[in-house]
Amino acid sequence: MKYILTRLSRSLLTLVIVVTVVFLLMRMMPIEGYFGASFDKLDEAQKMAKLNNLGLLDPWYIQLKNFYTDILKGDFGESITYRPKVAITKILGDKLITSLRFGLASLAVSLVVGLGMGILMARFKGKFWDKLGTVYVVGANAVPAVIYYLLIQVYFTNIFNLPLLYSKTDSKSWILPILCLSLVNIAYYAMWIRRYMVDELNKDYVRLARAKGLKNKDIMVKHVMRNAFVPMVQYLPASILYTVSGSIYVESLFSIPGTGGLLVTAIQRQDNTLVQALVLLYSSIGIVGLMLGDILMAAFDPRIKLSQEGGSR
Amino acid sequence: MKRLLSLLLVLVMVLSACTGGTTPPTSETPGTPETPDTSEEKPEDVEEGGKYAAEQVYKTVYAEEIQTINYLTTTTNVEFALAANLVDTLVDYDMYGVLQPALAESWESSEDGLTWTFHLRKGVKWLDFEGTEVAETTAHDFVDAAKYLLTPENESATANLFYSVIKNAEEYFNGDITDFSQVGVKAEDDYTLVYTLIKPTPYFESMLTYVCFFPAYGPFLEEMGDQFGTTNSALLYNGGYILSEFEPQMHRILIKNPKYWDADNIHITELNYKYNKEATSLAGEMYKRGEISDVEIPAASIDEWMNNPELKNQVRPSILGTYTYFYAINFDPKFDAQYEPENWKIAVNNPNFRKSLVSAINRVAAMQTQEPYDPEYRIINTITPPNYASQGGVDYTQMEPLKAITEGEFFSKEKALEYKDKAVEELTAAGAKFPVKILMPYNTNITSWANEAQVVKQQLETTLGTDYVEVTLLPHAPTGFLDGTRRAGNYSMMQVNWGPDYADPQTYTDPFERGFNYNFPEYTTDVTEDGQNIFEAYEALVNEAKAEVKDLVRRYELFAQAEAMLIENSFIMPYCVSGGGYMASKVHPFEAPYSSFGISAERWKGQKLLAKPMNMEEFEIAQKEWQAAREEALKEAAKK
Repeated sequence: MKYILTRLSRSLLTLVIVVTVVFLLMRMMPIEGYFGASFDKLDEAQKMAKLNNLGLLDPWYIQLKNFYTDILKGDFGESITYRPKVAITKILGDKLITSLRFGLASLAVSLVVGLGMGILMARFKGKFWDKLGTVYVVGANAVPAVIYYLLIQVYFTNIFNLPLLYSKTDSKSWILPILCLSLVNIAYYAMWIRRYMVDELNKDYVRLARAKGLKNKDIMVKHVMRNAFVPMVQYLPASILYTVSGSIYVESLFSIPGTGGLLVTAIQRQDNTLVQALVLLYSSIGIVGLMLGDILMAAFDPRIKLSQEGGSR
Repeated sequence: MKRLLSLLLVLVMVLSACTGGTTPPTSETPGTPETPDTSEEKPEDVEEGGKYAAEQVYKTVYAEEIQTINYLTTTTNVEFALAANLVDTLVDYDMYGVLQPALAESWESSEDGLTWTFHLRKGVKWLDFEGTEVAETTAHDFVDAAKYLLTPENESATANLFYSVIKNAEEYFNGDITDFSQVGVKAEDDYTLVYTLIKPTPYFESMLTYVCFFPAYGPFLEEMGDQFGTTNSALLYNGGYILSEFEPQMHRILIKNPKYWDADNIHITELNYKYNKEATSLAGEMYKRGEISDVEIPAASIDEWMNNPELKNQVRPSILGTYTYFYAINFDPKFDAQYEPENWKIAVNNPNFRKSLVSAINRVAAMQTQEPYDPEYRIINTITPPNYASQGGVDYTQMEPLKAITEGEFFSKEKALEYKDKAVEELTAAGAKFPVKILMPYNTNITSWANEAQVVKQQLETTLGTDYVEVTLLPHAPTGFLDGTRRAGNYSMMQVNWGPDYADPQTYTDPFERGFNYNFPEYTTDVTEDGQNIFEAYEALVNEAKAEVKDLVRRYELFAQAEAMLIENSFIMPYCVSGGGYMASKVHPFEAPYSSFGISAERWKGQKLLAKPMNMEEFEIAQKEWQAAREEALKEAAKK
């Protein structure tokens, strides 16, 4: 408990530093960016009026102070250039849910298929299934995703008569984006679970279990699987949380109104409030995700203790 | 592998079906307005010999999402293009560019040209996004919109255009006066609107089609506050269409306004825009599948279309725009010492040196980087594009002395070398060093620009020799591009562009005004034959032209002389107009309202979808017919 508390306070400090640095960096951008293409068409009075409205003419420490007081009040402000005058929470709300929904669906698919595949590969190590799986893993990692996303989109829609673009109401249009999102993750999970299982299989306790005459299936499920899964558990919470950050390519290709690429766009358009909100969100997720991962790992494997006293790590 | 994939697919389907169960069934969007059943009321002339499509629904994908639908604050093209179809203006243009009554049925101006009175059409309704009547459009709506525009807190990007002509508007914006009734916009009664101008403005009518002169229903503006125009429910409609659905990064749907005062001229009943960030790569495929009505063909895939006989038959040029592109030659170099700004200063003030540069550039070859099939289509020899403004039935670019320039060509190797020889002699005497270093920036985000810069560099260096000029290309990231290059004077020669603000040649003189940040011509030390500073001579001409508000033909001629002066003295090199490229489209390119300025040309009014897209030949015929009809119409209008 004490561990969690110190960890939490340290995380909070990191968060404040990250957000402050980003906040100050945004203030150093050229003011041209706030006006976009209309910059040349505006006169000084108009430019000053806008900068004044945005509070950008105040000294930086006042701006920073205002920013933190607003945040503490739960006010993330309004977008500046992305969708002027629209509340950040309104912009993000729908987008986060959309990305989260796709991310979770894809994560579920990847876990089920990927782990299944990895286990199969470990079990038949060096045999046909293992080799086939390795081909897939290497392929999925080596070929740039953009290429096969586009191929999948164009050909699969033709062959299976699926819609090209995402539609909220047409569930058929969700299949291909989820498939695309899952392909690399499947390879990732398959590769690691296979690796950890193969590691475990060579350990003494497996040999002992074999010698004792346990059934192969039992060894696999009760011991090897469980042990091999521990290192993967650590990353699971972060992966789940990170799905809210969306996927740039898949979302762009299928017209999914998610958060993919939103941060990049917001920075390009110098939408300070949106950038700040996103950075705050993503950094919190990163920090919380890691912490949950550690806790989960400790829960999964009683040999691991969070505090130092145990010392069995 | 295939088996595995199909297996996966099945799994994904099953799973997504499961996740589908968790979505609330409310995704049927109860807020969606009842789309009026327009399928039965087809416009009568739609069947016309099968020329037009039976179903008048336009569908497209777009990659650039609009940021706001608040037409009173925006200046971006996509945003006011949308607003043009949602809200009507006092006046409008027909397909030949002749001014027509719209919300104003008639209007007159006072003898001194300062007071303009508009008599409004009665019974034009404001509707909300569900098509429910809210109020009638009255003269007060123009006054209320102006007040909103002139309130600095609203950050209107077009306020300056409004206060550049309307009396006391700038004073109100700056807070010098606080009583809005002193501003030169008044509603005498519900149907009489009066504008008072600062000075006689010959192009005032054309300005009325710009977003800063749009009306907005006052009580609604007040109710919405700063949320006006953030969503489709925060806007009222009195134009040809209603924005019935608007979901950013998803889609927007415009349906015909059934109560529109000119509903007979709205033929396309629904406009369906779907967002896709990768629209440029997907649109071609979607067009081929018949999912969208038109596609702009990217330069990279034009060959693929042209080599397929069936597709080739659907390809036609795109319409040209009004942005002008030219190469600016900088008279106030502020670049790094390693590029020798002082040396450039000496060189740039020598007329033969400037002319040698302009004569050495083959613009058609440079344009091939963008337009491989018809590079000459976009090339122009003037700053003001042809078909932009006309007076007394003559196009501005056909007036002397621009006529000779329009028909000529700058590129000539022989002349370039002649100028070079003279320049070498004169510049050596003036103490310049050779080779003269030329710094030429380009935006790394625009591939064609990078290619073009390479071509121009090569042309300059091979024609004139590297002992004479040495071109350094300066790639600059898109962020802060203009601040880091043009506006900072951080270039010697650079491709720049300018978009017009009103339908008068004056708008193209703005970049060369003293104190502006294009090529700083006021720093020139070069003189005319009679010893006057060239820029001062130019400035005097422009001021004379600006002051001429009665005899408009004379006004245009003066502007033509001024523009010719910049070109003949090679202060800049005219290059091309915006637009161009190729598209396949069911839209008839010459039925849209035509106007060189303002938002009229963005209206879908009067347009119909063709049964099959035009090809190159059909386009050319239609263009000739249109050009001829336009000249007739302009002459006819000039008589009145």
